[in-house]
Parts: sequence; C-alpha cells; structure tokens
Amino acid sequence: MIANSLKMRGRFERRMLLLQWLAALLLLLLFIRLADLQWLQHEGLLLQAEQNRINVVPILPTRGEIVDRHGQGLAVNHVSYRLTLIPERSENISAVLTQVQQLMHWPDKRLKRLQKQLAHSRRDRPILLADKLEWNEIAQVAARLHQLPGIDVQAGTHRFYPYGALSSHLIGYLSLARNEDLQHGVLPSEKVGRRGVERTFESTLHGLPGSQYEEVDAHGRRISAFKRVPPQMGKRLQLSLDIGLQQVASEALGERTGAVVVLDVNNGEVLALLSKPGFEPNRFITGLETEQWQSWINDSQHPLINRAIQAVYPPASTFKLLVGLAGLAKQSPLIHQATQCLGYVKLGDRKLRCWKRRGHRRVDLHKALVESCDVYFYELGDQLGMAAISDTARQWGFGETTNIGIGPEATGSIPRTNGGRRWFRGETMITAIGQGTVTASPLQMARFTAAIANGGALLRPHLLAGQTPEITRQIDVLPENINIIRKAMRDVVVSVHGTAHRAMAKLAWTSAGKTGTAQVVTEAQDEDKLPKGMQKKQLKRHRDHAWFVGYAPYEKPRIAFAIFVEHGGHGGSAAAPVAAALVRYLAKQEKVAAKTGQGS
Amino acid sequence: MIEHLRKLDGLLLLIMASLAVLGMITLYAAVHQGGIDLWQRQMMHWSIAISVFLAICLIPLRVMALLSWPAYLSALLALLLVPLFGDVQMGARRWLDLGVINFQPSELMKWALMLLLAHWFASRDAASMKSLLPAMIFALLPAVLIVMQPDLGTTLLLLFSAIVMIFSAGLPWKWAAYGVLSSLISLPVLWHNMHTYQKQRVLSFLHPEADPLGAGYHVIQSNIAIGSGGLFGKGYLHGTQARLHFLPEQHTDFIFAVLAEEGGLIASGLLLTLYALLIARIISISMHASTRFGAMLCIGISAIFTLYILINIGMVSGVLPVVGVPLPFISYGGSALITMLAALGMVMRVSIESRDKLPWQRPGSPFA
Repeated sequence: MIANSLKMRGRFERRMLLLQWLAALLLLLLFIRLADLQWLQHEGLLLQAEQNRINVVPILPTRGEIVDRHGQGLAVNHVSYRLTLIPERSENISAVLTQVQQLMHWPDKRLKRLQKQLAHSRRDRPILLADKLEWNEIAQVAARLHQLPGIDVQAGTHRFYPYGALSSHLIGYLSLARNEDLQHGVLPSEKVGRRGVERTFESTLHGLPGSQYEEVDAHGRRISAFKRVPPQMGKRLQLSLDIGLQQVASEALGERTGAVVVLDVNNGEVLALLSKPGFEPNRFITGLETEQWQSWINDSQHPLINRAIQAVYPPASTFKLLVGLAGLAKQSPLIHQATQCLGYVKLGDRKLRCWKRRGHRRVDLHKALVESCDVYFYELGDQLGMAAISDTARQWGFGETTNIGIGPEATGSIPRTNGGRRWFRGETMITAIGQGTVTASPLQMARFTAAIANGGALLRPHLLAGQTPEITRQIDVLPENINIIRKAMRDVVVSVHGTAHRAMAKLAWTSAGKTGTAQVVTEAQDEDKLPKGMQKKQLKRHRDHAWFVGYAPYEKPRIAFAIFVEHGGHGGSAAAPVAAALVRYLAKQEKVAAKTGQGS
Repeated sequence: MIEHLRKLDGLLLLIMASLAVLGMITLYAAVHQGGIDLWQRQMMHWSIAISVFLAICLIPLRVMALLSWPAYLSALLALLLVPLFGDVQMGARRWLDLGVINFQPSELMKWALMLLLAHWFASRDAASMKSLLPAMIFALLPAVLIVMQPDLGTTLLLLFSAIVMIFSAGLPWKWAAYGVLSSLISLPVLWHNMHTYQKQRVLSFLHPEADPLGAGYHVIQSNIAIGSGGLFGKGYLHGTQARLHFLPEQHTDFIFAVLAEEGGLIASGLLLTLYALLIARIISISMHASTRFGAMLCIGISAIFTLYILINIGMVSGVLPVVGVPLPFISYGGSALITMLAALGMVMRVSIESRDKLPWQRPGSPFA
C-alpha cells in the first residue's frame, strides 16, 4: 500500500514537473511573440498606429485670378456658400430640415430627396445640402444657425468668368481633376484648367495645396488639429488683352460667326482674340449637364472651336499682299510694268475670271492691290511660279504655328509643287489670289500683317502683359519693297477706289489694310448647279467668307488686326466695318489717355 | 478564523494583490474616457470576489469534495436549460438570466467539472478503463452542450483542462498517444461541423490581412497597439490605439493590448512574470498538498489559468484565433473574476490544510 502510494506520488510529481515545464515553455513562447511585436516589429507597427490616428486634410490653394491689361477681372474667384448638416449633432433632424426648407424656399421634392440621402449617410460626417449659394440666398439660414443644430454654413470660392462667352476661347475653363492630373500631384477635389490661358498657365495659377494634420479616432471623428502647412496661393495673371477692345469686336461682329485678332505690332502682345460663337464657360464651373455639352458638340456653328487659332480658311485676296512681296523680292517683270485686265485671263480653253467681270483695264501692282484685281495676280503668280510663292509665304510665317501658347494651333497649308503629283499652272494662278489649297488662320494673318507694319519682324504673339517680346524671325525684306505694299494698303482705305474705303476712310487714325472675299463655292460648280430660282449667294452656307487684315495708324503703326467673318460676304462690306470699330475704340482710348496724361 | 488567516499563503496573496493592482490600473486606462463607471463597478466586483475568496478559504476540502457532485449536476442542468430559456447575445445562446445577473452556465461548468474530476481521481488512478471512461464522459457531456451554443473557446478550454487532469492522474503514455492520434483524425470532422463565423475566425487568424476591415480587423489593430508600444510603451493613458478606440473590446478580451501599448514590453513582461509566478505557486501548493483531492484540485485550477492566459494573449498578439476568453484579473467582468477568486480560494484552502504536516505524515492522505 505504501509502496504503491509512493509509486503513485512519484509518477504524479514527474507529471507535475512535466506540465510545469510545458506551461513555462508556452509562456516563454508567448513572451517571444511579444518581444517580436514590441521590439523587432516596433517601428513598422508604430508607423501604422500613427497612420491610424493621423489624418491629413488638404487645404486647397486659391487659384490665381486672370485680369486684362487694365486690371479688369477675366477669371475671378467668387465667394460662395455651402450648407451642410452633421446629422449626429441634431436631435430632431426632420424638424431642422423643415425649418431650413422654409427659409430656403425649397420645394417638397427636394426635401424628400435629402431625407432619402440622409437615411444612407453616416451620422458623424457633414452632408452637403446645397452648394454655390449667394449670401442673400443663405443669409436667412445663417442668421438662425443657433436654432438649427447640426446645420453649418461654410464660405468657399468658385471660379467665375465675368465676361462669359466673350473671353471663353481665350481664357478657357476648369474642370475636376482627372486620373492623369492626379499623377501630377493634383488632389481629386481640385479643379484644373482645361483650355486657353487656364490650361497654359495652370502651374502659375494653381498654387500648391497645404495640409492640416488632424488626430482622428477609429470612427474618423476629428479629435484635435496639430500641424498646419499653409497652401501656396496661385499667382495673379495679367494678360495683354484689352477686354474693352474684345467687347467692341464682339459687338461689331454681332450674331455672325467669325474671328478677330488684334496684335501689338511692336511687341506681339495679343490685344484681342475673339472667336464667335463662344460658349458660356461658367457652365463648366457649376457642373456641366450632358445635354449642354452635347448641344455644343452637335451645334453646326461649332462654338467650342477657337476660330482665331484652330480654324484655317483660304486667305483669298489678303494673300495678294504676300504674292506682291514675293514679286518684289524676286523682281518679277510684271512689278515694273502694267497689264490689261479684261475681266479674265485665258488658260488653255479655260477662263480664269477677275471678280470685276468687266475688268480693271490697265493695272499695276499698286492698283491691283488697291482694287484687288485678280487678273494681275494670276499673271504675277504665273511669272513667279509656285515655288517662289511658297518660299516667301513660309518666310512670312504661313504654314507654321505661331506658338501663341494656347493650343492646339492649326498650321494652315501652303501648297508645294513637289507634292508628288502633277502640278498645274492654273493651280499656281489660283493660289496667287489666295484660293485653292492655301489656308491660314486669322492669327497667322494678323501676325503676317504685323510683320508688314513693323518692317519684317515676325513676332511670336503672346498673352501676358509686360512679357519680353520674342521675334520668331527677322524677315529678309527691303524697306522700299515693304513701303510699296504699305502704300497700297493705305490706299485700300484712303483711295475712293479702295475696297475698304467706305468702311475705314473717315477715322481718327489712318489705317492700312487689305480685303479678302474667299469663295466657298468655286465658279466651276457654278450657279446652274443650284436649284432653280435660288441664287448662289442666297444659300448661307454657300456665301463667301469675308476677310479684312490691316494695321493702324499708318504713319506710326501700333496695332495689326485680322478680321474673319464666316459666310460674311464681301471683305469690304462685312469685315472692314469690324476693323473700323476697333480703330475707333483705340483712337478714342488714346485721346482719353492723352487728356488724363497717363500715356498709353 | 484569525488563526486560519494566519495560515494563508503569503506569496500567493502577494501575487494576487499585484495582479489586482495591475488589473485595476490597466482597466482605468481602457475605460477612462467615458466609461469610468465600469471601473467603479469592477472595484465592486473585486470586493465581492475577495469576500468569496475568504469564504471559500473557510470551507474544508472534505466539504468541497462532497459538493462536487451537486455542483456538476446543477451546472449540467443549467447547460441544458440554456437552449430553452437562454438569452441570445452576439449570435450565440450562452447566457441565463437569473433576474439579478446574467450568467453563463458554461463558465460554472469549467469549475464544476474540475471539482468533480479532482474528486473522482482523489481515490482513483487513470490507468484503468473503469476510472478513465466515466471521467471522459464527465468531460464530453458538457463539452457537447457547450459546443452547440456555440462556444468553441470554452469547449476547448474545458476539454484541455480535463485532459491535463486525466494526464496528471496517471494516464498511461500509450493511451495518451492514442488520444492525440484520434483527435488529429477528428479535426477535419470538427472543421466540417463548425459554424461559419467560427470558420471565419480561424481563417482570419491565418490571414488577417486578407480582410482588414472585417474579421481580421481586431487582430490587426491589437497587433498594431502591442507593437507600437515598443519596449517602454507610450506612457500611461497615452496609448493612441486605445484612446482613439481603434482597439476592439479594449476593456474586456483585448485589454492586454492596452497594457502592452502603454507599458511596452516591460509591462507585458511584468504581467507574464506575475502569471508565471501564480501558476508556479499553485503547482507548488499542489505538490505539497496533504490530500490527493487537493493536489488534483490545484492541477485543474492551474491548468485553467494557464489556458486562459495562453489563449487570451495568444489571440490578442495574433498567434491564436479570436475566441472570447478574458484575461484573468485584468479584463472587465464580474462573474469571471468571482469564479477565478473562488478557485484561488480553493487553492488557498489546500495550502492551509497542508500547513501543519508534511503530506505523507497526514492522516487520511492517500500518500500516508
């Protein structure tokens, strides 16, 4: 019995010891695990704990404003208000909402929609009730905030374009950041410039977001704020644009489709750059509806296209200035003599007609430019040959972008004889009057005209006030040759036979210019092809495009302009009056400036 | 009575007091924001638990042995009542509402089974089928009832503590090997019969990162809390995981993470040391017990404590799946604390009764 007991006891003690060591081993393993977490993995886990508790809230920078040369706001930041509700702060949400509804004069439908939204929302996060409110809309609610627990009114800014469609193509607009923007460090809630100046100068205007470091709990509630990195505000941008001039151009164009470009001939500053029709850029800011976008896309007038730089047209008779310059440069025989215009020239069995059916009789270069004789330029072109015209055109900036910086820019086209197909003589002759395959944008035409005015400096047009002028190319041209062209351009306006005389003659500044009337339907597809009883000119989409390019004042050139009216008809009657309005405005501005003694 | 108190084991009391102080300090950190009444209630629980402890110290082991059968049977009855009248909390039917308190019969069963097995093996050896088979039935009967509640954690705890007792009672090694083998074979069967949420817990334990906001969230957050504490901790009441409520159940099952975050490895090591001392002390008392009943009692109690500690800290530190097991003396909760101190009261009684003489010198000792 005792022996058995002792044996039992011995076994019991051995097993006890075994279990004791087992327990010790397991506790040791547990300790090793804790040491692993608290010692070896400490740094990584501490970082995770910090990430858990620290929330970085971005502080958005205020976008730089865009103003014109006189400081008029073109893109400004409007203060607007938003109405939010944090559900958990209110004991009776529906009572609060009903009160807000009465103050805001909301329809019942809106209230119901909000209540539905509330049912699915978190109770501790602010819910947006209304956005982009003016002070007078929200003042009633703001005054009663103490009676409306959970309701909050916050001030913010949104972009506003005071001139709307007038500057829409030039200034552009903003829209919410896309994926590709996010890769460049833009935050999802930010807006990014999409066109025009807003896009080109995005980095200047945008600024850099700051951040607010907050401590949050597991539910995302803000417990405290501890560090603030202030945002870097966007910079204000002053353009060379004169919005008053732009306004004048727009009024002069009226409802017509077209483009106006005004450049400073001495430094390339863009004083006006208008394309009509425009679009309302503020629609992009308040949130563009798909229908609106679709209607702009499908509009036959294409309001989203910037006709001043993105569209190219045959320059028509305005191109005669270039062909004249080419003739002078190459010393073509016709430059020193005259020809007889009978209203047409014969080319094989075809007749190339002058716009003046009964002919100009005897024409030299001067008269041919002043009265825009086609026959003279058919012959001059024929003498020069396509290669010479093409070379000179390229020199003067045709067929290349101007690098104005608000793209995409159309290059236009200058035909080449070595294009790989047979080139006909007649094509050169058609090109010499600016028809056929030669095309240019209104901006290219304005730059070309400015180069005539300033003596052959092809400038890079630029949009910022006070920017150092940049000469793309100094054209190798004799001053006397330019003077011949200039004098002819003056007489286009001054001479009673000049094509722009009626519109431009009686102005404070003497202007110089050249009209153009681009045929949309060529004479080959003549009137007889149209339905009976319908004249060619009656169908609007068959009407000619009107051009007028020029500069002013003649004696001491300051500005160059290019006016284009789509299906406007004759250059002299449709486009030149727009230029007249511009010159009138600028001359008056100069007079006022002289009176107040500020200078220009 | 004074005489009895003089015989109390000073070392055991010291360990208990240290755990009590550490527990209350930690609980304060876990609830000091908005839950201070819980801390006050835990204070009350402690005073009740200490009274229970002292009362049990006065009950002779003979009486405890006599009470083992009634205790086991009433716990079994209560378990049977759970499916009929039990309250459902968090998807499981575990609680019985007794008007004053909600209690879990499974909690009572752990201790009742331990008491019964101690009584059973007081005069028997586990080497014969005649004694082993009934013991296995005693353990399996409540285990089946508890696993159906469903409460896998308590079931495993119950079974493991029973195995430890049977093993110390002299289970032949050969049989032990059979047992291990057969349980390994039955594992897939067990998996097949587990509830979805239990499977999910096991899966999320294996891959906590797969579902960071779902089932794995608790473990990830408690690991972050423990690890971010480092060697010296973030300072008392300065644990961000605890203060900002990233820790789930931070005053109950996950309270260890609060301690580890704010006190670092120093504090968690200190707690583990206290636990090791406690277990070692209970085993030492068991070895010096004057009766085999007392010795077995201490074995069972130390087994339950050890399992509680391993499972809880293992779960919080991400090496074991999440099962609802409190951390002894630290987690908030009245019934767990009271039963644990009651168990320590029994240990103390064993110690008192073995004071006078060496075990084998005592009359009535199986070793005498």
